[in-house]
Amino acid sequence: MSKMNTTPEQEHQATTADDEVLVSVRNLRKHYGADSFLSDDPVKAVDGVSFDIHRGETLGLVGESGCGKTTLGRTLIRLETPTSGEIRFDDTDITTLSGSDLKQWRRNAQMVFQDPDSSLNERMTVGELIRDPLDVHDWKTKSERDERVRELLEKVGLSENHYFRYPHQFSGGQRQRIGIARALALEPEFLVLDEPVSALDVSVQAKILNLLRDLQSDLDLTYLLIAHDLSVVRHLADRVAVMYLGHIMELGETERLFENPANPYTQSLLSAIPEADPYAESERITLRGAPPSPRNPPEGCPFSTRCPTKIRPEKYRSVDDDVWRAMEELRGILRERARTDRSIAMIARELLGLETRLSDIDEIVEEVFGGVDLPPELSTHVDRVVHEVTDGNPEAAQSYLKREIGGPCDTDTPEYYTVDDDGRSSYCHRHTAEYDPPSPTLRSE
Amino acid sequence: MRDYPAPFARWLAGVSLLLLVELGAVLSFVLGVANDLLRLTLGTAPLSGAVSTSQSLPTLISRDLVPNRGYYTGEEWAGTFLGLEPKYAWLIRVALVVVYGAVWCGWLWFGYITFRRHYRVADWTPTDDIIDRLRSHQWGKFGMVIVALFLLLALFAPVVSPTTMEQNIQDPYSNQIQYFSEETGEVQTTTAGAANRQSTSVGSVARNVGPWEYDNFNRFHPFGTLPSGKDLFTFLAYGARISLFIGVSSMLGAGALAMSFAMISSFYKGAVDLALVVTSDSIQALPVLMILILAAVVFSNTWIATVYNGALLFIALFTLIYWPYLWRAIRGPSFQVAEEEWIDAAKNYGQHPAQIMRKHMAPYIVGYMLIYASLTLGGVIISVAGLSFLGLGITPPTPEWGRAISVGQPYVASASWHISLIPGFLITLVVTAFNAMGDGIRDAVDPQSAEGDEATAAAAGGGGA
Ligand code: SF4
Repeated sequence: MSKMNTTPEQEHQATTADDEVLVSVRNLRKHYGADSFLSDDPVKAVDGVSFDIHRGETLGLVGESGCGKTTLGRTLIRLETPTSGEIRFDDTDITTLSGSDLKQWRRNAQMVFQDPDSSLNERMTVGELIRDPLDVHDWKTKSERDERVRELLEKVGLSENHYFRYPHQFSGGQRQRIGIARALALEPEFLVLDEPVSALDVSVQAKILNLLRDLQSDLDLTYLLIAHDLSVVRHLADRVAVMYLGHIMELGETERLFENPANPYTQSLLSAIPEADPYAESERITLRGAPPSPRNPPEGCPFSTRCPTKIRPEKYRSVDDDVWRAMEELRGILRERARTDRSIAMIARELLGLETRLSDIDEIVEEVFGGVDLPPELSTHVDRVVHEVTDGNPEAAQSYLKREIGGPCDTDTPEYYTVDDDGRSSYCHRHTAEYDPPSPTLRSE
Repeated sequence: MRDYPAPFARWLAGVSLLLLVELGAVLSFVLGVANDLLRLTLGTAPLSGAVSTSQSLPTLISRDLVPNRGYYTGEEWAGTFLGLEPKYAWLIRVALVVVYGAVWCGWLWFGYITFRRHYRVADWTPTDDIIDRLRSHQWGKFGMVIVALFLLLALFAPVVSPTTMEQNIQDPYSNQIQYFSEETGEVQTTTAGAANRQSTSVGSVARNVGPWEYDNFNRFHPFGTLPSGKDLFTFLAYGARISLFIGVSSMLGAGALAMSFAMISSFYKGAVDLALVVTSDSIQALPVLMILILAAVVFSNTWIATVYNGALLFIALFTLIYWPYLWRAIRGPSFQVAEEEWIDAAKNYGQHPAQIMRKHMAPYIVGYMLIYASLTLGGVIISVAGLSFLGLGITPPTPEWGRAISVGQPYVASASWHISLIPGFLITLVVTAFNAMGDGIRDAVDPQSAEGDEATAAAAGGGGA
């Protein structure tokens, strides 16, 4: 794999130059609370992503909840204002639009929402709901609007005489159809589908997905499909972007990505879904712990706190796997503790020299390293950690450990590497020649 | 409606008929209000002539049709309706008013049904459920009936009073009454004021005109008389007007403020919300009664205290003091609505914020607003009465319930107990009724809400200044 100092997009454009780009995103960031004087660290929901969406394609966006995928989708349609970066829509930078330009542009980009119970105002009839966007934009004449609403109702598989019913009188699937009709009312080119079927019965999900696919080919729509359900994405998306902690970890053609994930995070994510073939002897990778807070993401690779194949420093490569895992676990615990805010009472106890919760570090070490044969050089590190924590310097302990046992994943931000001939890109140090390439069976070395 | 006008026309004909029988009263009321407004703004009263003309128009339910004032000639009653005893004549008139009110309510309901059956295209709306729940809420219905009666009492004060305001309360010495004197055995004339002086209720059995009694001048007093000899029922009927006027106006004002602020703070959140929280906290930190007393004293000699006998001042004060309570109560529901995805959807297709608030938020908040406004309205009525009790409220001689309680207070333990107790009981009843109505609306609007939730208690508590 060759290292290339480019964004995944420039890569991709090289291979699919014939496709016309509709939405082009560069270094997009959305930080919450950055402007407010009340909060300390901003929440880095989206932290520098770049990708293109081609006209007529469906780009899937997957990731665990809280990874920033919904924020990304909302930012693309300007429900959120980006903190920095660029979103080009047909060559207009929409991040700077405002006033009537913004209103005019909104016709092009609509959203289908997740929860059909919440996305429809229950006090309006179905007809009024679908007509509202048309009214807002003063679309043609009144009777033409009515006509259009009826047409849309038919188009999404409802009937004209549903016009005067209220959302309450419909099932979840039907309500989602109403939401789709409303999104289509202004003839947009681009739709953000935010978990469009996750709130629906499994039996209805396929119908809605098929409807979306039919509409796409009928109306030449471009989709961004946000979902945590990988099978939904596999069903509908042409390409998939895998998101973790505000970053895109891997982006590529759907089938190839699912068949042969390149990034350690994608590998972990995919191994979490049961195989279709129960006899397949694939090793399950379980993700350790919860993702770190986007308020305080790790330095280096965003996945470094949980990565099963994280790169070790040279001198510890020979250390036993179990021992190494215990060391990482100790780091995880320290990080976790730093995150939970210390209460006033605890600070007071500390000042008074009383025992605090952190002083039970001995117990922790006991538990983590119990039954593990700790080599002497690691043992000194652990002793130092215990010492610092007992002295009331958990931060010092953390940075000490990072310095001593941290590798490139902890300190350097990875690059995007092209990992197949279709322009797939992955965000991981392991794609350089220096290290073994990531693979699901690889252990943290 | 254009295609199928018959049912609507039928309903409209009924409305006109109902209005027609009270044409004089309706016109003089509308013109009177317009006239007063003009007097306030322009300084002249160009409609005074029209007002007096409209007052002379015939009205079906009026004291002229069923007069209850007359005198006893020894054998029979002269001047009363069909020669009936004044109390029966009065009862008939009151009954007529109640029937008229009931017919109106029925006709409005019929209008709603007509609309539902013939004109509304949707065969079900969420409002139907709310109305159905309200209809099956006994406690709420009880409240609404009492509130309706209170409204009738206020609106029809000139009709249901056994005597008139001018004659009995405002200007008793310029009005003559006739009565049958037992001493001389013949009909004599005196002023209402002179008669009042001999019909006082001041505690002793000899000098007391209690409820349901006649005084020495053949005048019937359903609730007895005041210590000044004036008729208590008349006093209370007109007093209802001013209580209701202040209550409704200030709740409209405070409600409108609270609702706009709630929607603005939940739509924009952040700094706007914070500013409103701080403002409302500061207002709520003020002791309500202290502020009212202070303002009443400070403004007592300014022009604002003269408008509607001080009512305007109180409306302004209550509006400013009560909006934070209402705002607090509906802020939660408002934030809830603002979180709904349909708000995002509306932003997504470019809906204007003001329209989002009006179309996509307000319909969900207005129900809560009604609940808390009706709960707080009782509190306002109590506050006005309380201030009048302290002598700071509405300026005499304009009737106000609190003043009746105040003047009757020394006689509570005597034969003249009625002066304090009847208005006291009525206030309790009306306030309870408004609360019951609020409960009914709450259960109808928000069926999941548990009994006795905190916000309700807070609003009601805030009301009892
Ligand atoms: S850069 Fe390191 S931590 Fe990140 S995914 Fe690759 S191996 Fe794992």
